[in-house]
Amino acid sequence: MKVKDAEYSLLFKILAYVMVTIVTLVCLFPVLLIISGSFTDNESIVRHGFGLIPDKFSLDGYMYVFKYPTAILRAYGVTILTTVVGTALGMFFITMAGFVLQRKDFKYRNQFSFYIYFTTLFGGGLVPWYIMLTRYMKLMDTYTVLIYPGLMTPFLIILMRSFIKSAIPDELVESAKIDGANDFRIYYSIVLRLSMPGIATVGLFLALQYWNDWFMSSLFINDTRKYQLQFYLYNIINTVQFIRDMAISSGVNIGNPPTEAMRMAMSVVVTGPIVFLYPFVQRYFVKGLTIGAVKG
Amino acid sequence: MKRNVKLIAALLAMMLILLTGCMGGGKPDSGGSGGGADNGGGGASGRTSASGLDISQRVELQFYMLGDAPVDLPLIESEINKMLLEDLNATVKFNFTTWTDWEQKYRLLLTSGQPVDLIFTAEWTQYQAYAKNGAFLALDDLLPKVAPKLYEFVPQEMWDAVRIDGKIQTVPAIWKEYVTFGNVWREDLRQKYNLPIPDSIENIEAYLEGIKQNEPDMIPLAANALFHTPGYYDFKYEPAGVASYGFPYGLYIPYDDPANVQQFWGSEQHLEDLLRMKSWMDKGYMSRNVLTTQDTAHTMLVTGKSALMMGDNPNRWNSTNQDMKSTHPDWELAYYPYPLKKGYATPVHPIHNGFAIPISSPNPERALAFYELMVTDKRYNWLTQYGIEGTHFRVTEEGYYEGLSDTFKREGMNGWAWRNPEYMLFDESFEAVNEIFHELDQIAKPDIFTGFAEDWTPYQAERAALEQVRQQYLHPLEVGLVDDVEAGLRTFMEKAKEAGLDTIQKSYTEQWLHYLKEAGIQ
Repeated sequence: MKVKDAEYSLLFKILAYVMVTIVTLVCLFPVLLIISGSFTDNESIVRHGFGLIPDKFSLDGYMYVFKYPTAILRAYGVTILTTVVGTALGMFFITMAGFVLQRKDFKYRNQFSFYIYFTTLFGGGLVPWYIMLTRYMKLMDTYTVLIYPGLMTPFLIILMRSFIKSAIPDELVESAKIDGANDFRIYYSIVLRLSMPGIATVGLFLALQYWNDWFMSSLFINDTRKYQLQFYLYNIINTVQFIRDMAISSGVNIGNPPTEAMRMAMSVVVTGPIVFLYPFVQRYFVKGLTIGAVKG
Repeated sequence: MKRNVKLIAALLAMMLILLTGCMGGGKPDSGGSGGGADNGGGGASGRTSASGLDISQRVELQFYMLGDAPVDLPLIESEINKMLLEDLNATVKFNFTTWTDWEQKYRLLLTSGQPVDLIFTAEWTQYQAYAKNGAFLALDDLLPKVAPKLYEFVPQEMWDAVRIDGKIQTVPAIWKEYVTFGNVWREDLRQKYNLPIPDSIENIEAYLEGIKQNEPDMIPLAANALFHTPGYYDFKYEPAGVASYGFPYGLYIPYDDPANVQQFWGSEQHLEDLLRMKSWMDKGYMSRNVLTTQDTAHTMLVTGKSALMMGDNPNRWNSTNQDMKSTHPDWELAYYPYPLKKGYATPVHPIHNGFAIPISSPNPERALAFYELMVTDKRYNWLTQYGIEGTHFRVTEEGYYEGLSDTFKREGMNGWAWRNPEYMLFDESFEAVNEIFHELDQIAKPDIFTGFAEDWTPYQAERAALEQVRQQYLHPLEVGLVDDVEAGLRTFMEKAKEAGLDTIQKSYTEQWLHYLKEAGIQ
């Protein structure tokens, strides 16, 4: 009996390791190509394609990217600002909304939930939204337009509500009320502390949403100093796209388009810091996610 | 506990203030000219400009251009505003849409009613369609009143050429240039292997064969479904229009006989051409992943991956050549313009580069007067085209342009529309292009195609379906990737007819013939 168990578990272990290794390699491969491409001379990329080891080593891509370092640093600054402020404010509003929506003594909680959820099903479309933000709220070219629209994502509100519902028993809230706490006190003393895993998850989603956002910059920002990081990168790649698609029919001449090596270097510069940051931050998320899993 | 409350409250209050601060601070910038009227509007009341325009209220003009802003834009903007305040009691904000989603942004700018004072137009930004739908202000009455110098400066034929529905809706650029197609090839390799000049289909094939034999690791033709196919068609036939996508919906409209609209797709000639494309692919002149390659033809030439490109204009050939020479000084690119073979050259249509005033503009008179300054006043023109003399450029003894800094290159603000031939400065290397332009001038004939404003609303759905069919069935045929060409062509024609090709062609032909009658061509 004992021997059989050990056999299967060994087999399982080997299989698991092999599968995970294969999947890891498959995910790692493109990243390695990008990194190696960023250190290669552009001509050899065009003539011989990408390779895991640079054909002809060159730092040209990085030199081009860092020719105007202030632009990249500013874009980093803008994205960090919007992510931090957006996530902090967003978490505040979303947790409050989630807490309120799951309270059984809130008479209209179903109607409000439906109202919030409904907006994910139907939208007014791009043009009305654009008109509202530019003509009526006059948010063109401001930092607000980068932060404001993403603050109350319906999906995250619903997610938060479910988390709080499962994490906070009603009796706890009631007993706190009996002890004389007002709603806000209950909120930050009890709810925030107990739903940490939920807050970590939702916070991560929200932060990622802000960090990856380029769409708002594309539509609403004209001032180059307020560009977000992802938009800055996307822009450079799109110049080449434009040349490829339209330049023949438009006859437009854009000398010196960004080269392959430069685009690779750009990608490394934009995503590199996150890759370095993540290992330090991820243990908090892992800890937070599993801490509430086993209920006493 | 209490400490925590205060801390959290303080933190949140701070963040909210930050937001309001940004929003509040943002307000005067956004909302364009309306807000600006409050500050400094005091000024001398009853001020009038040189042409009698009432400029007692200060306004801020919103100027929109496509592409990326040059690095030193703020510097140029402040210099311009210094002068503009004196001349017109106005300031201007230069906005660039970048090339990311520029079509969507352009559409939003025009349709959302956002206050935009000046915006770039061209046939490839769908000027004709927007004008027909009333997106721009009619300038007929405004021009002689507020911009008389500009009105005189642009020749009457050009004003007439940009009329849509009988009204002038954009200010055309006056510099005559040619964006006709041509072949670009490696002259140094041609001479090295004693190959013929690619000025006919036979010579092109001989050249490609020669390159294939002697340089085995090169791909002879810089092909890409969007690049070489229109070039090839433009070379072999004489279509009335710029053959950006081959022929419109498979209709061939010969330049000399434009009322005779012929069905090209599915014809004997079409089959012949496709068979030739197949033979090129079989002989190895194109790479097998030509449809998915991400490189532009220029990149392929400059890095030495390819040796021939079909369908480029003289200006771009020159700049590709300069580009290549900076990394490979011993290589050389030569150019053969298709008009020399066809016997006529069409200069750029006035619609090709223009600036219009959208109907949402709050200050159309001031905007037009400002544009007049941009074109006719040398200080404004040089600042926005070349930068600050001494910092960004200098004029050599022979009168050529010499760039001094990367922060503002020649025509750094993409000033294709407000070029003024009297003030233009050229790079010394541009002489080669000027020569070609002179050659083409001898055989110049008017462009009869660009003035046509196609209205595709009657067949919008079919058009979208046809585009899908084209991508899926025609593109592989055009690059020779399909083994049985005849069967492939038959399949494509079937699918195209299913998608509604006949409806589209009928409607288009009607519109085209109507346009010919109206414009009095043939």
